Amino acid sequence: MSRESGTATAEATPIHAQVSNLRPRDLLSKEDCLEMFRQVYLARYFDVRLIKEKKRGRLKGTLYSSHNQEAILVGALFGLKPTDWISPIHRDMPAFFLKDLRGDWNRPDRIGMSIEEVCAQVWGRVDSPGRARDNWSHIGSRSKKIIHSTSMLAGTIPVAAGLMYADRLNGGDAVCITFNGEGSTAQGIFHEAINYAAVHKLPVVTVVENNQWAYGTPFELGCATPDVADRAKGFGIPGLIADGQDVFDVYDKVMMAVEHARSGKGPSIVECKTFRAYGHGDHDDDRANKYRPQEEIIAGRARDPIGVCRQTLLDLGYISAAEATTYHAEGKNASEATNEDFPPEVVDYLNAGIEFALQSPLPAAEEGAMWVFKENN
Amino acid sequence: MSAVANTPTTGRKNYVTAIKEALFEEMERNPDMICQGEDIGILGGAFGATDGLLAKYGSDRVIDMPIAEACIVGSATGLALGGKTVMAEMQFIDFISCGFDQIVNMLATYHYRTAGEVNMPVVLRGPAGAYGGGALYHSQMNEAWFCNSPGLKVICPSTPYDAKGLLKGALRDGNPCLFFEIKELYRKREIEELLPEDDYTIPFGKAAIRHEGTDVTLVSYGQNVYHCIQAAAELEKLGVSAEVIDIRTLVPLDEDTIFTSIAKTNHLIVVNEAPMTCGFAGEIIARVAEKAFEYLDAPPIRITRLDTPVPWVKPLELFVLPSVEKIVQAALKSVKF
Repeated sequence: MSRESGTATAEATPIHAQVSNLRPRDLLSKEDCLEMFRQVYLARYFDVRLIKEKKRGRLKGTLYSSHNQEAILVGALFGLKPTDWISPIHRDMPAFFLKDLRGDWNRPDRIGMSIEEVCAQVWGRVDSPGRARDNWSHIGSRSKKIIHSTSMLAGTIPVAAGLMYADRLNGGDAVCITFNGEGSTAQGIFHEAINYAAVHKLPVVTVVENNQWAYGTPFELGCATPDVADRAKGFGIPGLIADGQDVFDVYDKVMMAVEHARSGKGPSIVECKTFRAYGHGDHDDDRANKYRPQEEIIAGRARDPIGVCRQTLLDLGYISAAEATTYHAEGKNASEATNEDFPPEVVDYLNAGIEFALQSPLPAAEEGAMWVFKENN
Repeated sequence: MSAVANTPTTGRKNYVTAIKEALFEEMERNPDMICQGEDIGILGGAFGATDGLLAKYGSDRVIDMPIAEACIVGSATGLALGGKTVMAEMQFIDFISCGFDQIVNMLATYHYRTAGEVNMPVVLRGPAGAYGGGALYHSQMNEAWFCNSPGLKVICPSTPYDAKGLLKGALRDGNPCLFFEIKELYRKREIEELLPEDDYTIPFGKAAIRHEGTDVTLVSYGQNVYHCIQAAAELEKLGVSAEVIDIRTLVPLDEDTIFTSIAKTNHLIVVNEAPMTCGFAGEIIARVAEKAFEYLDAPPIRITRLDTPVPWVKPLELFVLPSVEKIVQAALKSVKF
């Protein structure tokens, strides 16, 4: 990593910092911190389990693993209000159920997708929020405040900006987080949309998961500045850098950006430094072990977000040394990890989702020709 | 939703005034409507179509956008997701190519992808068409790109009355609409007409017969409709009675009016100023071939732009575009087949 975590290219002015030296994380309770730990485990288990399901032959389609990047999803989403919007992309599948998960995971009034809905989408079943009309992460929900992405990366940023313009006109105080890979920051629409959001000070937080590899292309062939966050200078907005392995550092930086946005000061870019554990998709796993040097892979995966989070909780005294060694998912690939490596509530939660998906039917064939247009009669 | 022509207003209106009236009236009746585009506010639009909107409705609802068509379209999609109705102007329809991905992949598919949860009341409108010496990038008719992208309605009015009624209809339709305005008609005196004082819209998928005839059917839209009407007058002198159909909307297409006409005339010429290959004229002829082949006594003929860009200086431009003469010759060839 080319720069110390926490260096900002232009300073956001978090409300916390104006009144005290507290960081956003310092306002989290012990319970909150323990829940974030569980959520990191949940995101990891989702990934591990889907890979296993595919190996068992119970699941088809390409998987885009978020292994090693879970701290970004949990850290970015944990502090949002239920009425905030998000726009995840392919490597953010857990984001759909992590949104507004804080508290009771099964409470019915959550403004996020249920694990059942997300699994129905993964399995291509009719109970998917999009009735399985487009694949993998291309789902969303107006009522649950999730923007529907396409395969054209960075393409949801202008949508997020327009949506926040509308929300502001409607008297709302929502913020929208869009998730992006570092590769997509080379797209024209990335620049067009953030420029527009900056002109109108729209509450859009662009989280960039810099996992160093855009499919088969290394970061330095897609970006001439040392950090993606440097791109923020050109828009006159804050560009923050977070340690993407550390859920609490991501939480700090994203919450600074969210508060900046919510207080009317406009958009920010939050670059989260991380490393893509596997291939671009699982079809690319073997090749990714060849086009990327082994030492780079080992170094990039050395700081597992589970382990980083656990160490913080130990340091805070929130868990005992004995509790810290109860589960052992840290550092294990899907082929090595077992259900016993995860907290049982995490396993149970996903089991319910998968059982639901497996009994959900395929959509009727003729739905393929429906909803091209809104009917007016 | 009726097209009743009530008491006329005092003056005859030109095409761009009709567009402008539609925008003012819809902004007035729909407080959730937003207009955005390049230079539409302070300047009032490159052609004046939005002149006065900013003063009346303010900068929250009338937005001067950065020169970034993809962002103009993408943010319009976001506004619609947030419950707004959006008119987004492309300063010249040629520039719409810069927003192509956001139109065909994001906007056009949104309703489909959400299984109907989300509607996209977004109208992308802009000045289109050649014959004005605008050269390669201020002359295009690229409507076929969008007819080939499911989820978009495609509209091309040829008269002030249609321009106003179809635009108001588009802004209430709830689907993304591509609205091709013919800039050479914006201030054309000969086509000025009285417009109804009362609110009206024109339903999509209803063609207009601009000239009745019995020997050959000339199907067109936009400014080529006038070339067809002139050709019909020329043909009349030669003893050939031509029927001129203005389809007004491409998606949806009024097939019935076309089929009914060729059942009578048995001869078909289709005229559009876009290039020939994969152009909309070819689509019309394909549908006739599939569904009304038995009505034809001669092969249908396309009169389109040659498969070239639109060149700048007049002789070059006119050489590649449809003309009255080309239409007349095609009609004669058809009836003599």
